[in-house]
Amino acid sequence: MAERIGVYVCKCGPNIGDKIDVDAIVNEVKGIKNIVTAKNHNLLCSEDGLKFLKSEIENEKLSRIVIAACTPKMYELKFMRVCEESGINPYLMQMTNIREQCAWVTPDKSAATEKAKSFVRAAINRVSSQEPIERKEIEIQPDVLVIGGGVAGLEACLSLAAQKGRKVYLVEKSPCIGGLVVRFEEVYPTMECAPCMLAPELQEVLQKENIETFTYSEIEDVVGSFGNFTVNIRKKARYVSEKDCIGCSACFEPCPVEVPNEYDEGLSKRKAIYIPFAGALPNVPVIDKDNCKQLNGEECKACEQACPFEAIKFDDEDKIIEKKVGGIILATGSKLLGTEALSRYGYGKFDNVLTALQLERLNASNGPTGGKILLKNGKEPKSVAFIYCVGRKEKEYCSGICCMYSIKLAHLLMEKFPDIKIYNFYSDICVPKKEHQKWYNEILDKGAKFIRSNEIPSISAEGEKLIVGIDDKKVSADMIILVPAIEPNPDTEKLAKIFDISQDERGFFSEEHTLMKSFSTALEGVFVVGNCQGPKDIGDAVAQGGAAAGSILSRLVPGEKLELEAIITEINEDLCGGCNTCISLCPYSAISRDVEKKIAVVDETLCRGCGTCVSACPTGAARAKHFTKEQIFAEIKEVAKC
Amino acid sequence: MLKQSVNPDLSGNEPTIVSFLCNWCSYEGADKAGNARLSYPANIRIIRVMCSGRVDPQFVIQAFKEGASGVLILGCHPGDCHYKKGNYKALRRTYLLKKTLQQLGIEEERVRLDWVAAGEGERFAKVANEMAETIKNLGPLQLSV
Repeated sequence: MAERIGVYVCKCGPNIGDKIDVDAIVNEVKGIKNIVTAKNHNLLCSEDGLKFLKSEIENEKLSRIVIAACTPKMYELKFMRVCEESGINPYLMQMTNIREQCAWVTPDKSAATEKAKSFVRAAINRVSSQEPIERKEIEIQPDVLVIGGGVAGLEACLSLAAQKGRKVYLVEKSPCIGGLVVRFEEVYPTMECAPCMLAPELQEVLQKENIETFTYSEIEDVVGSFGNFTVNIRKKARYVSEKDCIGCSACFEPCPVEVPNEYDEGLSKRKAIYIPFAGALPNVPVIDKDNCKQLNGEECKACEQACPFEAIKFDDEDKIIEKKVGGIILATGSKLLGTEALSRYGYGKFDNVLTALQLERLNASNGPTGGKILLKNGKEPKSVAFIYCVGRKEKEYCSGICCMYSIKLAHLLMEKFPDIKIYNFYSDICVPKKEHQKWYNEILDKGAKFIRSNEIPSISAEGEKLIVGIDDKKVSADMIILVPAIEPNPDTEKLAKIFDISQDERGFFSEEHTLMKSFSTALEGVFVVGNCQGPKDIGDAVAQGGAAAGSILSRLVPGEKLELEAIITEINEDLCGGCNTCISLCPYSAISRDVEKKIAVVDETLCRGCGTCVSACPTGAARAKHFTKEQIFAEIKEVAKC
Repeated sequence: MLKQSVNPDLSGNEPTIVSFLCNWCSYEGADKAGNARLSYPANIRIIRVMCSGRVDPQFVIQAFKEGASGVLILGCHPGDCHYKKGNYKALRRTYLLKKTLQQLGIEEERVRLDWVAAGEGERFAKVANEMAETIKNLGPLQLSV
């Protein structure tokens, strides 16, 4: 049956009507093959205009339509809806832009009319080769995997778990949840106790029925795509039964092994069986298999003998647990610049040169000194020098939060020791946000000294005193606090490979768009939140965690299907030569190789329809729906004419 | 040998410049030029594609075959591509395409790849005017039979 095409030219009041001879367009196209009607209308986007279009489609029994009007960016979706309501597949409509890209930019009316005619002819030619496209829907798995139990991950877990009908799996590498923040005593700008602030969240995550937490666990591998991922979680052997242990700590005392406690930044010792710090949750110890005597061939079992509940299991093994999830949130955090880079500042050489994180632990009531900030010789510090921006020059970025937490630490020191002298060596001060400036002003008022220099200071010792030398100035201090750049956690690279997402030049996970999509990645359904995406403070990290959860909540709805992008690439199996060119070009890893058939296959959930694979396909097997070569050629044929 | 199926109109109408604009940045940039009522010659003829990376070298050759005397390819600025790196792919392809076109006797200035952001109406009008000027100076493309 012959196509029945209708052409509708909008005058947009005087906007097009006065600039272009719309009657001339209508008269010209009337003679074109399959055009059954061509009309103009004063304002097609108006309620009256939409009704007019609907009745035209129905009365004229149209099979395709062309609308010449404003930019499709304005009302294309509206017109597509009219098509759908009138029984035409919306992809059998073509809009052409004779307002922004013609009437408004072409002062000469006859030139504008000729140009508009060519646009309309091109749209007619194109619409004839357009094909109906059905929007596909797929079954989805509403459960979500969150990796990393810091503040961003916790927020994501709780937001997601608030919706019924969904399970959330939280995977945390360390034996406890709460991330870095739970190890701080007080946090800026509210100066509240971090463990108290987090306690309700931690408890809720651990107790909520639809959140399953895997501590001391890592991601082994992942396959699938948005809506349907399959993940393997390696639950590392803890050698302590989470089921039987009640957290009485009877096992620590008899353990004969002592090693530096990484959770106290090496400032204290822990046993081979340990919990990271007092109050760590879940309150179940772990045996460090690298240092345990029994697990390294020496007879010991001291902890086993001490345990009143038979919770020690030396025969425990790593377990691989498979979970099916629809979305994945990475919240794997960050760390301070490595200690190697700090050695030029006397770190490791002088006892009282510490990192900011070490000072945080000294200040923490669950830390190595029970919250007492003391020098190595046990005395209270009378002067402390902070060195900001450590590693910033090499890193070439400002971490943005170090000034504020240093100011917080300085503030705490000044409260604890009212006569203390505080020196801050900095190159730039960064205290944005509505709450922060006042803290800076306050320690200035209290007499903290700020010394600006772009030079890297030299650190030396004179007797018990440390000397900071910079630009011919010398300042003596009892303690030096290094404030290093924030860098991604070491396993960021491994995770980027597992999830097939990219890292930016600084090593953090790359977000999809710096501003507009700061928490999603190029891989649909995989989100990056908190400091693994870039250094940020607690509030910003929590906001991202919530934002990613919101994005998942709105798209992976329990019991509902997921609608896929309509304009995507398809591959003709008969034409594909299996050259893999498209696979290497796809920015979304949406194309893979079917090993048996030796051809490329498009994952419809991942393809976003950019069409770059189509342009490169040497056989023409790859085809961009709605932007096929035939459709573009049909347009070229008309617009190229003089 | 490449043949034009349509002879260029030498009677006064300007030869056309087929312009492939990416949906996300450049097409919106052209809309902004309209919003600001900036003018450029009517022989700039626009075709919307999803990404400059979709511009197959065949599109360019086809445009010349169908009578165009110039081809403009506009995408998002480097680093801003909606699809991450489609514009870089367009850059690589255009570089090679220009070499091929030169061998066919088509001046490389007849193809211009450039970047126009969604807010850059003025830049779009500037690029369009410059391209029209370039093609005017080169004259209509006449492919040998």
